[in-house]
Amino acid sequence: MAHDVKLKTKPSEITREGDAWILHFPRFGAEGTHYHTYGLLTPYFEGLAQGRLMATRCVNAKCPIGRGKGEMWLPPRADCPDCHQPMKWEEVKNPRGYIYSYTYVERGGTGLEIECPYYQVDVRIEGVGTIFKGYLLDRKPIKIGDKVRAVFRTGSDATNTCLDIAWELV
Amino acid sequence: MIEFHEGNLRVPRWTRPVYMVAAGTSDFRKRYPQKKLEELCMMAFRMLLEENNLKMDPLEVKGLINFCSYGEFADHFQDQLLCEAKVHDYLGLDLLPNFGVKTGGATGGSAMLAGAQSVASGYADCTLVLGWERMDEVKTWTGNYYISTAACKDFETRLARNYASYYAPMARRFQEMYDVDERVRAEIAVKNRRYACFSPFSQQPGNHTIEEVLEGEIVSDPLRFLECCAMSVGSSAALLCSEELAHKLTDQPVLVYTAGGSHTLRTGDRRPMRIPLLPNESEADYRELYADMEKQDGRWPGFESFGATRFAAYMAYRMAGVKNPVEDLDLVETHDAFTISDLQTYGDVGLTLYGREQDYVRSGDCYHINPHTGKPGKCPSNLSGGLLGTMHAVGATGIFQCGEVFWQLRGEYDKFHGDPKLWERYGKKKPADWQSLQIKDARRGLAISHAGVGSHVVCTVLEKA
Repeated sequence: MAHDVKLKTKPSEITREGDAWILHFPRFGAEGTHYHTYGLLTPYFEGLAQGRLMATRCVNAKCPIGRGKGEMWLPPRADCPDCHQPMKWEEVKNPRGYIYSYTYVERGGTGLEIECPYYQVDVRIEGVGTIFKGYLLDRKPIKIGDKVRAVFRTGSDATNTCLDIAWELV
Repeated sequence: MIEFHEGNLRVPRWTRPVYMVAAGTSDFRKRYPQKKLEELCMMAFRMLLEENNLKMDPLEVKGLINFCSYGEFADHFQDQLLCEAKVHDYLGLDLLPNFGVKTGGATGGSAMLAGAQSVASGYADCTLVLGWERMDEVKTWTGNYYISTAACKDFETRLARNYASYYAPMARRFQEMYDVDERVRAEIAVKNRRYACFSPFSQQPGNHTIEEVLEGEIVSDPLRFLECCAMSVGSSAALLCSEELAHKLTDQPVLVYTAGGSHTLRTGDRRPMRIPLLPNESEADYRELYADMEKQDGRWPGFESFGATRFAAYMAYRMAGVKNPVEDLDLVETHDAFTISDLQTYGDVGLTLYGREQDYVRSGDCYHINPHTGKPGKCPSNLSGGLLGTMHAVGATGIFQCGEVFWQLRGEYDKFHGDPKLWERYGKKKPADWQSLQIKDARRGLAISHAGVGSHVVCTVLEKA
């Protein structure tokens, strides 16, 4: 599907150490590259590149808040902030939600990889406890409450960053 | 955390009282190539020692200092690690101990908190609190990128690289939830920039109209250009003391109560919770609000409010014995980096109930002289000109705010804003239409130092001793 909003960035180089993806961020050329690990959140970024939205959930029965049935977190966290036990990965199937808030970004700071103007949207995703920030691929007027669904940049299109998930109006 | 336990809600208590006895500041400019950073810090330090009627010679006062708490927001901007050592050396304070404090936009407030702790604990009898920022080494849009690294680098920074774009969705949601007229936001920009016209320290004073604000260029919808603060360069300082020393140094010491709060870096991660109530509030006050939230899929603090501000106010009011903020406080300095953050804060600090922030601004009580009644406003805000009109050299901001409140409590607004020689010091001419914004018999004031989209907040109550 053709979309209005495009990225102006190349896929970031990734290396793997054990289970972790290391994102290469060449700020000052090759010698000035930052090597940023996604650590235990690697399944999230790997998931995006495969067209899947992976969230985490606390399943510890002794968690004082989740009591074994915690809400899903997006962005995910490897460990539960309430009981400190590892959380469980779970795919959000066919991710849909509505626009909880938004802004129209007409100009961004130096290095912005999304072509302006575009909507930055906060999406209330069905089944997820947190509200998830992203960007919209449509440029037509929107309002709070408009329904959206996720679109992924996969395979060779993947940037290996948070930009690999976007939203489109339903 | 969405459920507090008793220990979490323990009210801080100084082990001995903490006093503020002097304040100092440089002026502020978007670009300040005339002076190096440490030279700007010296301006603030010199004013602090020499111009606050201290009862000892400036160098004798310096001889009392035994600890320094420094505030600097971002090493990126200064392009210098351990700037604290350079400034400390330049001020001639070696080999005394110091440390640097960093909590984003709340850095100045946190430096005050750390400084107050040093006096309260007995580590120091006399502590210098000094903060600075130099944001003019890079172009504005690179500066905006630097600031946006205070959003989450994995999940947010790439989505704008401009901090206004993280505030704008809060403004949008607040507007929808509480049916806010954008003219109210514009009114805040007009008010604070107008007050900046009477400050020799201010970098962007202006007599604007609501229409001008609303017709202005959009930075990040719905926020317009005049609703956002600018890059800023300068330094501010405060001197904190034990009780005994305070009375030796001045006949007008000011008591300091300060407390902090913090909340997630990512706004969307703020899980719903019950509102921690201030001394003047009850559960019944919020029944309707909770019901409205349910209808609109809202949550507290959500995108509309700052949990960290509420937590800091909850603690600071109890430390200082503030029972009813709008009656007990004579002035407030809010962190108006954006018009929306000023508006949101009135509910957080209990100057009005949550949901009625717009009505509070419309009431005119946040003005020096209430435009509707012609009488003094109940709790004027940002008489300094605020961040919108006067300054946001980030590491200095929370300290500058305390300085402005301090001078108001001592009846010294005119001395530090109306002296033509002070205007000349900064290469300016005192305006012919200058007005005094001194509040008559001000006894107690509040300064709110605020970071990120509410990640760290420090509330300081200053009270005439």
